[in-house]
Amino acid sequence: MFERALNIFWILLGGAAAAYAWTLGLVGSSGPDSGLFPFISALIVMGAGVVLLLRSPVEAVAPDFPRGAALARVLGVAAGLAFMAVSIPYLGFAVAGFVTMIILLRAVEKSGWVFSISLAFISVVVVVWLFGRVLGMTLPRGPWGW
Amino acid sequence: MKGAIAFALLSALFATPAAAQGGDAKAELVKLKPKDFPTGPIEYTVVYPAGGGMDVTARLLAKYVEKWSGDKIIVNNRTGGAGMVGHAYLATQAKPDGYTVGVLANLMWGDAMLRAQGRWAYTDLEPIGYLNSDPLIWVGPTDGPYKGMSVKQIVQIAKDKPNTVRAATVPGSMWDYILDQVEANSGAKFLRVPFQGGGAGINALAGGNVDIAQGFFSEFRGLADAGKVAPLGVAAPERLSFLKDTPTMNEALGGNEYQWIIIRFAVVPKGTPADRKVYLGAAVQAAMRDPELVAEYLKAGVYFDPKLTDPSRMEASLKAYAEAEREFYQKTGRLK
Amino acid sequence: MDAIGGLLTGFGVILTPENLYLCFLGSLIGTLVGVLPGVGPLAALALLLPITFTLTPVGGMVMLASIFYGAMYGGSTTSILLNIPGEAASVVTCLDGHQMAKQGRAGAALGIAAIGSFVAGTLGVIVMTFFAPAIAAVAIRFGPPENFAVMVLGVICTLYMIAGSLVKGVLMVALGFLTAAIGIDVVNGRERFTFGSIDLSAGVELLAVVIGLFGVTEVLNNVERIVKSTIVTDRIRGLWPTLADWRASWRPMLRGSGLGFFLGLVPGGGPVTASFMSYALERRISGHPERFGKGAIEGVAGPESANNAAVAGSIIPVLSLGIPGNPVTALLLGALVIHGIQPGPLFITQRPDLFWGIVASMYVGNVFLLLLNLPLVGLWAQLLRIPYRVLFPIVLLLSVVGTYSANKNVFDLWVMLGFGLLGYVLHKLEYDLAPFVIALVLAPLLEQSLRQSLAMSSDGAMIFLQRPGTALMLTACAVLVALMFRRAKKS
Repeated sequence: MFERALNIFWILLGGAAAAYAWTLGLVGSSGPDSGLFPFISALIVMGAGVVLLLRSPVEAVAPDFPRGAALARVLGVAAGLAFMAVSIPYLGFAVAGFVTMIILLRAVEKSGWVFSISLAFISVVVVVWLFGRVLGMTLPRGPWGW
Repeated sequence: MKGAIAFALLSALFATPAAAQGGDAKAELVKLKPKDFPTGPIEYTVVYPAGGGMDVTARLLAKYVEKWSGDKIIVNNRTGGAGMVGHAYLATQAKPDGYTVGVLANLMWGDAMLRAQGRWAYTDLEPIGYLNSDPLIWVGPTDGPYKGMSVKQIVQIAKDKPNTVRAATVPGSMWDYILDQVEANSGAKFLRVPFQGGGAGINALAGGNVDIAQGFFSEFRGLADAGKVAPLGVAAPERLSFLKDTPTMNEALGGNEYQWIIIRFAVVPKGTPADRKVYLGAAVQAAMRDPELVAEYLKAGVYFDPKLTDPSRMEASLKAYAEAEREFYQKTGRLK
Repeated sequence: MDAIGGLLTGFGVILTPENLYLCFLGSLIGTLVGVLPGVGPLAALALLLPITFTLTPVGGMVMLASIFYGAMYGGSTTSILLNIPGEAASVVTCLDGHQMAKQGRAGAALGIAAIGSFVAGTLGVIVMTFFAPAIAAVAIRFGPPENFAVMVLGVICTLYMIAGSLVKGVLMVALGFLTAAIGIDVVNGRERFTFGSIDLSAGVELLAVVIGLFGVTEVLNNVERIVKSTIVTDRIRGLWPTLADWRASWRPMLRGSGLGFFLGLVPGGGPVTASFMSYALERRISGHPERFGKGAIEGVAGPESANNAAVAGSIIPVLSLGIPGNPVTALLLGALVIHGIQPGPLFITQRPDLFWGIVASMYVGNVFLLLLNLPLVGLWAQLLRIPYRVLFPIVLLLSVVGTYSANKNVFDLWVMLGFGLLGYVLHKLEYDLAPFVIALVLAPLLEQSLRQSLAMSSDGAMIFLQRPGTALMLTACAVLVALMFRRAKKS
C-alpha cells in the first residue's frame, strides 16, 4: 500500500515538476534553456513511477514500518529535531539544545533525570565551547545572551 | 595621462592626513562610541564566497577597523544566488541593532531593482562608508587569432563575422550590459559564454576557450604579468594610473556610456539606531584613512572615486548612481 | 629552478620550529574539522583566515593548506563510526565504512582510510613536485566541453553504483537532478523552483541533505530497534587491517590516487567528485560488486585516497596559475592576496620560497596526519562502545550544529530533518540513496558545462567531437553504457 502511494507520489511530483519546467522554457537561442534539464528529469521521475506502479503487485514486499513503541521513538527523534529548528531563533542554541537533549534522553531512551540533565548540560557546553571558542563560530544566542 | 595622474594624486591626498592624526582618530572614535556598544563581536557580512575580491576587501577592512576601533570584527560569508541570498538577508532578516554591517557592492542595486520582486528595496540598506571603486576591464588573449588586437578591431570582427567571437559574460549583470551597449552601438554580435564570475571567464580566456573576457584588475593581474592575457579597455571615466597604456572603453570605441564600475561600500540595515550607525561609519572611515589600507587596496587595482570619498557627499552620490542605474534598466526594458 | 633544487629550498623554508608548529597545528585543526560533521575545510579556513594576518605568508599558507588536506583525513572518522559524513567528500565512505564498523571492523576501516589518505596525499605531492608546471599548462586548457565530459563520466559511474532495482536507482538520479535545479540558474540568472522563497533561491544546501540523508536516517533506523545497545553487535575484532585487507586495498588506493588527482585538476571537481567516482570505479572493477554496501574495504580505500589526491590536484592550478578550481582553493588564493602576494604563473619564479615551502609542507603535513590519525584509531573505535542511548542525542546535537554551520540558516535544519525522514521512508522501501546525493552534486556542473559548451560553439553539439580530450572521454562513456546494457541483458 505504501509502495503504491509512493509510486503515485512520484508520478504526481514528476508531472507537476515537468509542467512547471515547461513554463520556464525548454530551448533558448543558444541551446537548452532553464527548463530543459528539470523537464527531462521530471519526466524520468514520472516514467519510473509509472514503471514501478505497474510492476508493484507482483514484486511488492510489505515494508516493515514500525509500530507502537518503536514508532513512538522514531517520531520522538523527529519531533526533537523539529523542536530545535523551531526554537533556536527564540531560545538560542544552548537552551534549545539542552531542552531537546533532555527530551530525547528521557522520552526516547528512558534515561534517568539526573543522567539526562547532566549529559545534556555537558554536551551543550562542550559543543558551544568547541564551535564558539575554538572555531570562532557564533551559535545563535537566546534572550539571555548565551 | 592627466586623468591617471589626477587619480594617483587624489589617492595620495586621501591617504596623507591619517599619518599625522593617528592618535586623534582613535580618540574621535572613542568619543562617538555609544553606551554599551558593542558588547560582542560585530559581523561584517560578505555576500560572495570567501577568497574572492569582495571577501578580500572586507577582510582587509575588518583588520583595519579592528586596529582603529578596538572592536572585534568577524567576517561572515553568506553566499548563494550570486549575492541575492546575502542581500536579501541583510535587507530583511538581519537585526538592525548595529551588530551587522554589510560589505557589498553596487551589484546589490541590480538585485534590488530586478530580482527582489518587491520583497525589499535598496533603500533598506543604508550606506555608512565608501571603500573603493573597481572598473570592469576588457581583457584579450596573447595567443591565437585575436592576439594583439585592440577593442575596436575585435568589435569590428564581431560585426563582420557575427557569432564567431566568443565573449565571456556573467548573465544578468554589468558584463551583459556592456556587451549589449557595444552590440547596439556597433552592430556587432558576440557569442556569449556564461560564467559565474569574471575570474572564471578570464581563466577560460587564458586557456583559449573564449576570445575576450571581462573582469577586475585583481582577477587577471597574475595572468597579465605572466603575459597570458592583456588588458584592452577600461570601462571607467579615465585611464587607471597603473594601466596607463590601456585606453578607456570610451576612448577605444568612441562614446561616453561605457562606464561600468563596481563600487564597494559598507551598509547597515535600515532602522539601526542613529548613534550606532554613526559610530560604525566613523570606524570604517578611520580605517579608510589609514595609509596602509589604502596602499593594500591600490595594489588590488582599485581607485577612489572623488564623488564618494567625501563622507558628506557619499550618500547622495551613491543614490544618484543607483537612480542612474534604474534609468538604464528602464531604458533597456529590463524594468517596467 | 629545477624540482629537486626547489624541493630543497622548500624544506629549508619549512623545517623551522615556527613553520613546523603551524603545519602541525593546521593538521590538528583540519583533522578536528573533518571529524566534526558539517563543518568542512571551507568553513574552518574562512574562520581561521584572520589568524594568519599575524603570521608570515609562508606560515599562514602552510597552516591553511594543512587544514585543507587534514580535513580529508578526519572526514572519514564519523562516516565510518556513525554514518554521518564529516564533510561532503566523505559521504561514500559511509556506505561501506559504517557497515564495516557494525561488523566490528571499525579499526581496520579507520586504519585503511588513514593510510590510503597518506599514500594518496604523498603521491599527489610527488607528482606536484616534478610536474606542476606541465600539468598546469594542460589544466588551463580545460574548458566547458572537457568539464562536461568528466561530469557525464561521473553520472555513468553513478548508474553503475546502483544496487538493487535499476528503475529505482534511475529515479533517484533523476530526483537528484531535479533537486539540484532548485535555486538560481547560473547560466542565465533566473530563479527556478523557488516559489518566491529567499531561502530556496540559494538552492538546497548539500550539507543539510547529506547529514539528513545519512546521519539522521541512520539515527532513526537505530532508535527504531530496541534490541541493540551499542552500534557494534559483534566483538570488535582487532584494531588493525589484516593482511587480507592490505591485499584488497592497495590497488584501490593507487587507482583512487590517480583518479582523484586528475579530478582535482578539473574545475568544479575536487575531493567530493573524486570520492564518488572512485567508489563507482572500484565497484565496477570488482569481481564481486555485490559486496559493496555491505562492508567492502575497497569502498573505503579507494574514495579516501581519491579525496586526498584531489587536494593535491586542486592546489596545482592555484600555485602554478593562480586559478582556483573550487571554493576552498579560492580561499587559499584570497589568503595569498591578503598577504600581499600576487598569485599567477609568475608565482613560482617570483616567490620560490613560498611555492616550494608550501609543496614541502605538504610532505611534512601528510606525515603529521598519519602519525596523528593512526594512534587515534583505537580511541575512536572505543567510541562505539558507548551505549547508543547516550550516543544518539550527542550525534543529533552535532548534526544540528554541523548543518547550521553551513549557512547560519535555520532553514537548513528543516531541510536536514525533511531529508532524514525521506531517507528513512525510502530506505524502508528499498531505495538506494547514494545515487541521489551524487546526482545532486554532479547535476549543476553537468548542466552548466553543457550549456556553456553549446554557447561557445558555432557548430552546436559538434564541439564535443572537435576537441580531442572531450571526444575521447565521451567515447569511453558510450562504451561504458553499452557494457552496462549488455550486462543487464545477460542477467
